[in-house]
Amino acid sequence: MTVHSASRRRLRIVAAWSVVALFVFPLYYWITTAFKNARDIFDQPPSVWAFDPTLKNFEEVFGISLGFLRQQEVLPGGGNFYMAPRLWDSIVVAFGSTVLSVTLATLAAYALSRFPFRGRHAFVAWVLSTRMMPPVAVAIPLFFIYKDVGLLDTYAGVILIHAVMNLPLAVLLMKSFFDDVPKEIDESAIIDGASRWLIFRRVVLPMAKGGIAATAVLCFIFSWTEFVFVLTLTQTGLKTVPVVSSSFVTSTGTAWGNMAALGVAAMVPAFVFILLVQKQLVRGLTLGSLKQ
Amino acid sequence: MSRTAAAAAGAGAPSARLPAPLRALLRPLSGEGAFPWLAPLVVMLLIFTIYPLLYNIWLSFHEYAPFRRQLEFVGVVNWVTLWSDTRFWGSLGVTFTYFFVVLTIQLVLGMAIALLLDSDEPGFGLLRALLTLTLVIPPAITGMMFLLMQDPEFGVISYVLQALGVIGENHPILASRSTALLGVMLADIWQWTPFMVLIFLAGLRSLPPEPFEAAMLDGASPVQIFRRITLPLMWKVIAVAVLIRGIDVFRMFDYVFVMTSGGPGTSTYVLSLYAWQQTFSFIKWGYGATISLVSLILILIIANLFIKFARVRW
Repeated sequence: MTVHSASRRRLRIVAAWSVVALFVFPLYYWITTAFKNARDIFDQPPSVWAFDPTLKNFEEVFGISLGFLRQQEVLPGGGNFYMAPRLWDSIVVAFGSTVLSVTLATLAAYALSRFPFRGRHAFVAWVLSTRMMPPVAVAIPLFFIYKDVGLLDTYAGVILIHAVMNLPLAVLLMKSFFDDVPKEIDESAIIDGASRWLIFRRVVLPMAKGGIAATAVLCFIFSWTEFVFVLTLTQTGLKTVPVVSSSFVTSTGTAWGNMAALGVAAMVPAFVFILLVQKQLVRGLTLGSLKQ
Repeated sequence: MSRTAAAAAGAGAPSARLPAPLRALLRPLSGEGAFPWLAPLVVMLLIFTIYPLLYNIWLSFHEYAPFRRQLEFVGVVNWVTLWSDTRFWGSLGVTFTYFFVVLTIQLVLGMAIALLLDSDEPGFGLLRALLTLTLVIPPAITGMMFLLMQDPEFGVISYVLQALGVIGENHPILASRSTALLGVMLADIWQWTPFMVLIFLAGLRSLPPEPFEAAMLDGASPVQIFRRITLPLMWKVIAVAVLIRGIDVFRMFDYVFVMTSGGPGTSTYVLSLYAWQQTFSFIKWGYGATISLVSLILILIIANLFIKFARVRW
């Protein structure tokens, strides 16, 4: 019996590590591609472990000269793929839309958590249904609307739609965090003569700090990775990283090394953020409906 | 608790320090009415979801006339065209094939991996953390990764599949009708199976131990335990994960856009991509709007039916 269960245990450990290794491999391959010369990228059979590491791709993409490890002269800022400003665009859009989204959602979520008004369930269902709209079905009319009001190709335009895209997530998630704060606190404060705003600002909000941080991180990531709206609503004024990386496919071939370098630069902040919210991740991914 | 409340009430003074206009803005938020709290959200959602929806409906009854350079009213022409457009029906078929295949594989594989990882072995926390990483990669970049790895000449996945004899020498996975959709599905399955794993794992870990202990004492087999105890207890968790994933699978756009652009032929044309290309590549503004409305209507029907029958609640 014990021998049997010990071998089963070993089998489970091996299987678990193998499965996760399979999921990590594409990531490993992409990250190493960012450090490869064209020669190694086009190797057949593909070079998985053995290649000459280079920083050339990062130097070209970000227009900086990283002295060490350099094998050949690189023109800083040269090449067709100078992408540092695009990283900045991504940061501005993700940050702006997160602030807007979390602010509006926090106010609304407090009301949804505390005031038992008529039609509350219908209201929550409506907010949820906006999460179901295909981005393309919003992006197409929005393109024409933005063209008329001059929001096409502007930070404001992208920030607004990214904020809206994240609102259902933010509202439902913040509601679930406010629901965790006992209502008795509000009630006794009201008896003591505090106004709703004061209770919200001084009592409930500080108690839901962790929830707000988790919501903000998820909003940031979803704006950071969004594709359709940026593709449709911008031209030359701004472009975020996911959209600009797809433009690395040119008629003379694909600049895989540069693209991988940009991709890696785009993943790093997201990886750091997601590891910060591990505890609230499942709640976030399920829009607040499952608590861990 | 009442001490906190008293402290809050005592802290009434600071808001008096705010400038007058701001105080006026906050006054509606002091009472028991929900509306002032919801108003900014409602305004945003009305402007950015309801107005575009109405605009889209209006657009579907118009079409751009390239020679006169203006939108012209065409009545129900776009809706009638849809009916006899074989490419539309084809893309509907591709969308549903993609939807069912990807969702089923992610569900089954996600549950299997979750059961495998549901243990307190040392290092399993690290494995869970590693799985979260795929969720934050921009899907467009995931598409690029799988484009590289499935290249017929130097892609590592192509190389392995060729070595195993699964595909022929130099078979272009993403450029042949028979395998292109599978190649796109692979990217989706890789990126989002961990989504299912993490949610199921959280569900499994929060199950009460008593029913399992009782079943073990009664000598139930692992399969019986899974079917009779785990599945029923996990029902809500599974329903929520399937709903959220299903919505995203149905409206998928990024992978096909960067990996195949709908090709070869029309073998990977999903509704979203077909609508987008009609609008922006072929300047059929009204027709693109019509197709995007169809995908919106379908997803609302499917999701709401699912919510009703699976009794998902927020």
